[in-house]
Amino acid sequence: MIAQFVFSIVLASVFLYAWTEYRRSPVVALLASVAATAGLYFVWFPSHSTRLAEFVGVGRGVDLILYTWVCISLIVLLNLHLKLRNQLELITVLARTIALANVGSERGGDRPAETSRPQETDGHRSRRRRGRSA
Amino acid sequence: MVERGLPARLWVIVAAYNEAAAIARVVTDLKRDRYQVVVIDDGSTDGTAQIASAAGATVIKHPLNLGQGAALQTGIDYALSQAAEAVVTFDADGQHRASDINCLLEGLDRERAEFVLGSRFLGHSPNLPPLRRLLLRAATLFTHLTTGLVLTDTHNGLRAMTRRGAQAIRLRQNRMAHASEILGQIAASGLRYVEVPVTIEYTAYSLAKGQRMGDSVMILFDLFARRLYR
Repeated sequence: MIAQFVFSIVLASVFLYAWTEYRRSPVVALLASVAATAGLYFVWFPSHSTRLAEFVGVGRGVDLILYTWVCISLIVLLNLHLKLRNQLELITVLARTIALANVGSERGGDRPAETSRPQETDGHRSRRRRGRSA
Repeated sequence: MVERGLPARLWVIVAAYNEAAAIARVVTDLKRDRYQVVVIDDGSTDGTAQIASAAGATVIKHPLNLGQGAALQTGIDYALSQAAEAVVTFDADGQHRASDINCLLEGLDRERAEFVLGSRFLGHSPNLPPLRRLLLRAATLFTHLTTGLVLTDTHNGLRAMTRRGAQAIRLRQNRMAHASEILGQIAASGLRYVEVPVTIEYTAYSLAKGQRMGDSVMILFDLFARRLYR
């Protein structure tokens, strides 16, 4: 009975985690909720895991739990990957801001914004003339 | 109808990472045609930025290597901040022809499109390896199934877009998946797009720098992963 309460608390915390993750990644939150629900069910009705294991052809209930645990681990890995991608997006925004703020010091031949009208060359004029007549 | 004409303020965006061997010729060709060129140096360690700057380009340096998609978005942001009326994306490895830009711009004008996409299959692509041709065909089918766009070429870095088009693009795929992401955003924007024939010149250098078979798996994974979070 003690183990059942302990596992219930752990799985309830998974629910809380899923709730907090929902805004960022609904898919991960949904998968975590399903896993936690299944876990809670089997904690309180362990004999059902054996019956379900026999039904799906796994054999023993403990094997089914083990496979489920592997699935949960993969979900956790996926979530970590998504969090890393999120962090990378933030780093990208930061790096871009820094890069754009330093354009002046890197500028080569082209002129700054206030003088960035196209160089009025014969080539440019002729292209625009062709465009208008098209 | 109001005649739109070709864009007066045009920026050519070149995303470059360790392209010291090719960037000078690319920038020189573009400058010869009087285009305003911005090179986004994506954390190169081989002096790409200095070479591009010496060739006459405006250079923006990423403090670290982020990927081609991130570099293109930086270039688009910069061009928009410079009141660009249109932008062109152009590869740094020398496989695009500066002369094709004119065809893209005429496409923007003539077809009244917001996006003009270069197609090597409508134009020419000498030395295109058969395996890559097959991969590109598969990518075209994938793009049609996922976005509904009817295209002949999907991962072609030579494109033009109007200011309105550029404002509809917000690339979040830093690496190669941006080429598919941009098409998804074009489809989502509902803005008019056309394809025009261009020439892609494959050289030993550009083939060595280009995508590989394994990259397509990563692109698919990146596109899938991007759908799993906000």
